[in-house]
Amino acid sequence: MLTHQFIHFAAARFGGAALMLVIALSSCSRPVPKPAVNKVPAGQEYSGFLQSYTNLKPNPDFENTKSFVSSDPVKNIHRYVAVIVDAPEVYVSTNVDQNAIPERGVAALKEYFQNAITNAVADAFPVVQSSGPLVLRLRSAIVGVDVGQATRVDSKGENTLQRPLNIGKVGVEIELVDSETGEQIAAAVDRQDLGQGAEVGSVNFSREEKFRAATVAFDGWAARLREFLDSAHELSKQDVDRIESTNFPY
Amino acid sequence: MKSYATFTLLAFLLPAAVEAAEEISTFSAYVDSDICARLMLGPITAERVQCSQGTFKDGAEPVLVRLHNNMVLTVNKEKMLRPLVGQLAQVSGKLKAKDGTIKLESAVGITDKSIPEGDPARRMLDVRMYKTDRSAQLHEKIRHELAMMPYISNFDFISFTQNGPDVILTGWTVRAINRDTAANIVRDIPGVETVINNIEILPLGSFDMDIRARARAALQRQLSRYFWGNGSDIKIIVKHGRVILLGMVSQKSDSDIAFIQCNAIPGVFKVFNLLRVQGSETGA
Repeated sequence: MLTHQFIHFAAARFGGAALMLVIALSSCSRPVPKPAVNKVPAGQEYSGFLQSYTNLKPNPDFENTKSFVSSDPVKNIHRYVAVIVDAPEVYVSTNVDQNAIPERGVAALKEYFQNAITNAVADAFPVVQSSGPLVLRLRSAIVGVDVGQATRVDSKGENTLQRPLNIGKVGVEIELVDSETGEQIAAAVDRQDLGQGAEVGSVNFSREEKFRAATVAFDGWAARLREFLDSAHELSKQDVDRIESTNFPY
Repeated sequence: MKSYATFTLLAFLLPAAVEAAEEISTFSAYVDSDICARLMLGPITAERVQCSQGTFKDGAEPVLVRLHNNMVLTVNKEKMLRPLVGQLAQVSGKLKAKDGTIKLESAVGITDKSIPEGDPARRMLDVRMYKTDRSAQLHEKIRHELAMMPYISNFDFISFTQNGPDVILTGWTVRAINRDTAANIVRDIPGVETVINNIEILPLGSFDMDIRARARAALQRQLSRYFWGNGSDIKIIVKHGRVILLGMVSQKSDSDIAFIQCNAIPGVFKVFNLLRVQGSETGA
């Protein structure tokens, strides 16, 4: 009887201690949280966000843009009908201190750009939530974000950022990949300077008149993405000839 | 306090105002299956009734065809229409013409005698009264514009009927842009006055997407000559596990192969093989 009681006591006491030890160890080995933003590597032309830059070529239809559209007969943009829009990534300029970047501002900026992209593509590529056949994944990055001077204390409101995000030299890198295999189907690096003079100084920047230039810039990049998709969907001469020779739609 | 009360009052009144704006419409309609409604445009003949009842029995969804303008309406309460498929009905509900939907409140079976003489709804009931006045030039222009739409895929089928200056667009698409673009480009063609848009936007559930991918892969493997560049002569329409094959093939055996291949795809409830065989009067 006494032996039984001892075993119960020991199990309760040392079992609990073992559990605490496991919790302590697991919290020690938890990976260091990833910073909210990435940094453009020094001396590099691109951020490194896209899976591949090797196929990019200057696009004559879009100023300051290099792009790629797969012409593989089996894996090309025409073979897909829906898209998953991933949350954009943010890359700060090489010389920016990542710790000075206000996380709330980055989150607001990401959210705005994701919505802008979604609205721009949704009627042509319905947005879905899960990967599968016929579904593309749209990955995007806002590259070259800078931070401005610390905001004066007396002008701080609840939603005002400690430092504004400067998007004057921002470009956008975007790619469409097969949602199942990750294979790159189309990509574009858009360096059109739509953000000149624009900054984001508040979490609610999309509703504030003084940050209108920033929203215009993001909407502009989203619209250019849509134009890029439209141009990638133009019928080839082969398709036109074939359609003309049939009675479609009958 | 006063502003809070005003706000509360507005919060109660606004939805009611919006509700009031969506007026109840009452009209005569033909209760059809979605397949026949989108493919057999025109008068309600014995053949049409047979199509409606046959495809409904095979699993096609019931829809309403508004008699006075041939508009196809999907409904929220299919149960109300089930006993009426292949019949005329007096229906009432909140109509959203832009989306081609109606929130049904009632549906009662009627006979053609209850539709008065001279009522525009009668036009659909008598073959002699339903004349398709077709200008070959205008017809070709519409066909060409629709065929050149860039976002049409193997999973979209868009067709039309032209009756003088009136055009009815019909079919199914996986992309909202195709529905809107088709209506806009046809509306802009000189000579076209009215456009009824019966193109349905298909749901993109993962089961249907899987069926689409498998069907295209199977047909492309077995019948590769009907697939070219980024288009195809065979259209694969998938809705809630049901597959509709549309388009043109050169021989009956190809139509049979397409049917067998699609029937073998896991998750397919029913295949409606509406492929036409070149040189043959009737579908396969």
